[in-house]
Amino acid sequence: MKPTSLRSYPAWAPWLFLAPFLLIFFAFTAWPLVQSLVLSFQQTYGPRRAAFVGLANFSFLLRDPLFWKALRNTTLFTFGSVLLQMPAALVLALLLNRPGLRGRILFRLIFFAPSLVGTVFVGVIFYLLFQAHTGIVNQVLHALFPSFDPEFAWMQDHVMSSLILAALWMQAGFGMIYFLAALQDVPAELIEAASLDGAGPWQRFRHIVLPEIRPVAGFVMLLSIISSFQLFELPWVMFNSGGGPDNRGLTIVMYLYENGFIIGDLGYASAVGWVLAVLLMLAAIIQRRLARKQED
Amino acid sequence: MKSIFGRMLMVLSPGGCIILLIAGLSTLVIIFRPLPGLEGQAVWIYTPRHAEIYKRELAQWNRLHPDNRAHLGLFEYHAFQRRLLSGFLAGTPVGDLIEVERNMIGPTFTGTFDDVGFVDLTDHLRDEGLLEQINAPSFSPWTSHGRIFGIPHDVHPVLLAYRADLVEAAGIDVSKIETWDDFYRVLSPLIKDLDGDGRPDRFLLNLSTSPLQAELIEALLLQAGGELFDGQKRPVLDSELNAHVLARLATWLVGPRRMCVDAPENTAAGDAMRVRGTVIASVMPDWLAGAWKQHMPTLSGKIKLMPLPAWEKGGRHTTVLGGTMIGIAKTAPDFEKSWAIAKYLYLSPQSAEALFRGICIISPVKSNWSLPVYHQPDPFFCGQKIGELFIAQAPDVPLRSSSPYNTLALEKFDDALVSLCDYATRENRYDAGELEPEARRLLGRAQADMERLIARNVFLASQP
Repeated sequence: MKPTSLRSYPAWAPWLFLAPFLLIFFAFTAWPLVQSLVLSFQQTYGPRRAAFVGLANFSFLLRDPLFWKALRNTTLFTFGSVLLQMPAALVLALLLNRPGLRGRILFRLIFFAPSLVGTVFVGVIFYLLFQAHTGIVNQVLHALFPSFDPEFAWMQDHVMSSLILAALWMQAGFGMIYFLAALQDVPAELIEAASLDGAGPWQRFRHIVLPEIRPVAGFVMLLSIISSFQLFELPWVMFNSGGGPDNRGLTIVMYLYENGFIIGDLGYASAVGWVLAVLLMLAAIIQRRLARKQED
Repeated sequence: MKSIFGRMLMVLSPGGCIILLIAGLSTLVIIFRPLPGLEGQAVWIYTPRHAEIYKRELAQWNRLHPDNRAHLGLFEYHAFQRRLLSGFLAGTPVGDLIEVERNMIGPTFTGTFDDVGFVDLTDHLRDEGLLEQINAPSFSPWTSHGRIFGIPHDVHPVLLAYRADLVEAAGIDVSKIETWDDFYRVLSPLIKDLDGDGRPDRFLLNLSTSPLQAELIEALLLQAGGELFDGQKRPVLDSELNAHVLARLATWLVGPRRMCVDAPENTAAGDAMRVRGTVIASVMPDWLAGAWKQHMPTLSGKIKLMPLPAWEKGGRHTTVLGGTMIGIAKTAPDFEKSWAIAKYLYLSPQSAEALFRGICIISPVKSNWSLPVYHQPDPFFCGQKIGELFIAQAPDVPLRSSSPYNTLALEKFDDALVSLCDYATRENRYDAGELEPEARRLLGRAQADMERLIARNVFLASQP
């Protein structure tokens, strides 16, 4: 059969094939982006009442202590969860990557299963676990260590710790899968050669494994940062549709949601959304630069 | 030659064929299933507790008024809030009659008078003499821009519920309690370490800084005469009285005179603590009496009610907590028909009786208060006539603000309480007088935040 020449297609053919993507992209991504940018310069009461306010939304946002509290909480959560999740995921992956480990598939399922549980369920579970008087965490800790206060207020005074722990349980298995895949790609001959040269386990890990899995680690970190900055359902459920005591669990997306969909000011919520987008872009740029520097 | 079925079986596999068959059958069932009769006025409500009562009442109404039928739409609380706001702000369909809880009403009042999605009922209420017939304070949460937008469902006077079995076993006479100070003094022997770990396991009152209890904090503030907004809906968080209340509440929550524990209502954890006797007393509005009977039948015969201790001698012995109204959406096609249903559901003696029998809620219609149902002993509350006890306090319930910013202001007040408790613990200061200056400072900050927030509302600012 004679191959068809590219020239036999009409000039508009590529556009025809691109059309489904372009239609969806413009309808559900590009146009809403433009609209939200326009909205961010308006104050609204629902979608039908809007007044142009210029940069007032952004200037109010920068002066609103609640925004700064939400930003601080989100950043704290991001640092806390990334710093805990990454090592936890890596340790789990290293344990599961040991040659000759029996029940590997079962363990992998056990560690990954929490990632399959919906965030709302995780929120409900940890809300019950962390109750002061009746929660199982305090009861077990008090039984094991009688000096531990059974009234320990996870959900009152240690809001961020309880959130980070809940997220750790949920997310560590997800990172583990990426690390496990990366570990399985580390060339066995390199490890073997290093062993023959007398390198111990730590030296092999430090000088061979770690450099090999660094791109994946960077990717997992970026995903973790982005998902942490978008944190919403977990605190929303754990703190009963709010930011918790003194808004200690308020995140930027919760702040956005409360302004847009409870107060009804979609304009202000859009301004918050744009600030969040800029922050995420900055995080991505910084991560890319750091990764590139390390590669060099 | 193979049949079509045989070929399908080959291509799809038996499992695939079964899935396809189930999909096809369920599609047909959905297409041809007759829809339930949703004729007439749509009454939207947010709580299953009301639904049981309204179902019976509306069935009766529909029998008597075949030309003006109504049907119920029950929604989950948060879904209801979203649908209500979407309806009013974006024009999506809403019910004709809408029952709204107090925390939902604020956002519907955030815009101008014309933006309110409910019909202004003030003239109708006045013309039909309902303003006089209904307990006056019950209108306050539903009044905005000087107009009333709903018929109140309730009064929600508040009493104090206590574990009579534990209190009486300790030989304590509660009749000596007049104020909150008396409450602590008389009942404090009950604060006990029951398991010998050196920490108390029993507390006097259910209260905490948890956002779940924010309304309870507001109720106590209102009881003391404090307020978050003045009559002109200006925020007044940083008043001397509010600071005094805040400081005293902090001493209830932390320090050597701590008497409160977090046992949130309507939660399994809180109920377990009540049943176990971890908490002796709870601030109890009428609706909560109904909830306790339903959720904790094992407490039957162990609970008694008494007037709330006052903040000062001669002070108010009740407050108000919660509240619901029914409003008529501006989009309702026939106002008169909706109005007739609303009055039947909310004001008729038979509805009032059903409401009290079902969930212990006192009708806001004063003439209904003589109904025999309110004057019967209740075995759950040790034979007390709880209807009478609640009605006795009904005229004294404080007024409440309908400011669209009330929830946010309450959140700020609660945040100030959290900060004050932290301050007290950090500085080891547990005397209310010593805490007042810090309370004033924290409330001043909250006040400034609220003022800034309200000032940026260009729609309210454009109102005359």
